[in-house]
Amino acid sequence: MTPLSRRAFVTAATGSLLAGCAGRAPERTAPAAHRRAAPSPSSPSSRSTAASGTPIALGRSVPVRLRIPAIGVDTPLLRLGLAADGTVQVPPVTAHDRAGWYRYSPAPGQTGPSVILGHVTVGAYGDGVFRRLAELRRGEQAVARLENGRSAVFTVDEVRTVAKAAFPTQDVYGDVDRPELRLITCGGPRGGDGYLDNVIVFASLTGTTTGTTP
Amino acid sequence: MRRTVLSATALACTAVLAGTVPAFADGTTPSPVPSTTRSAEPSAVPSEAPSAEPTRAASPVPTRDSRQVAAVPAGAPDTGVAEPSSDSGTEGALIGGGAAAVLAAGMAVYAVRRRATRA
Repeated sequence: MTPLSRRAFVTAATGSLLAGCAGRAPERTAPAAHRRAAPSPSSPSSRSTAASGTPIALGRSVPVRLRIPAIGVDTPLLRLGLAADGTVQVPPVTAHDRAGWYRYSPAPGQTGPSVILGHVTVGAYGDGVFRRLAELRRGEQAVARLENGRSAVFTVDEVRTVAKAAFPTQDVYGDVDRPELRLITCGGPRGGDGYLDNVIVFASLTGTTTGTTP
Repeated sequence: MRRTVLSATALACTAVLAGTVPAFADGTTPSPVPSTTRSAEPSAVPSEAPSAEPTRAASPVPTRDSRQVAAVPAGAPDTGVAEPSSDSGTEGALIGGGAAAVLAAGMAVYAVRRRATRA
């Protein structure tokens, strides 16, 4: 082996060794970077989406009018409170009587049972504003117009005739998890003091509109 | 010449070792493992615990503690007034008839007494 060939061999061996050692370093670091990045997306960011199909509740605004097209009701609404004996006030017995909203209940469109009452008959004046309430059927609509111009559209879920002696207080006034409406009048057979039953319509919010409705 | 070859070989081996030591240090150091576990665990635990518990605890409380109907009325509403016109009419007729009878009796007594005084 000549000196020139020895130098060439040593130089080539050194170069190849250095090149071999230096070339592996970036290959090792790249997978490490992927491993660090991989677990992070599976952490808690996906919990934020919750229930999206719940009915849209409205803010509190006093109802001023009630329409029930199926039974021809279109009435202004009074505000009713409590009588001295703890019973709910009812609208006055007059000709062309009106229905009334119980003001200690949620406004129509708010979450909770909004209560509206009307007479079935008004003595010598004949039929009351809720004379045909018992004719309502499941799926028919009642629209409450609010003071702020919006309207809450309710769809009837159930029409119940109950004895006054067994009035379902919890079903009518108890808490619920969505905007609902109760329409109450009298019904059933007449006794010495008047009607023996109550007719109660249970409805739930199915839509809202802005502005005045025809 | 041999010295030159040997020194060159020693230099090459030194260079190789110098190159391989950092490579070993880079590959075998435990720094990535603890750093990932330490950074992942503390950040996940506190962020889950406080955010989940208040939302679950807060939502049912207002609906159960504060009633939606502020004052629940007693009994059933009286929303039907039956026609009382026929009953009140008969009562009025009775009262009116009684008053008329009393008045007629008084007039008769007065007339009889007046005749008696003339006679």
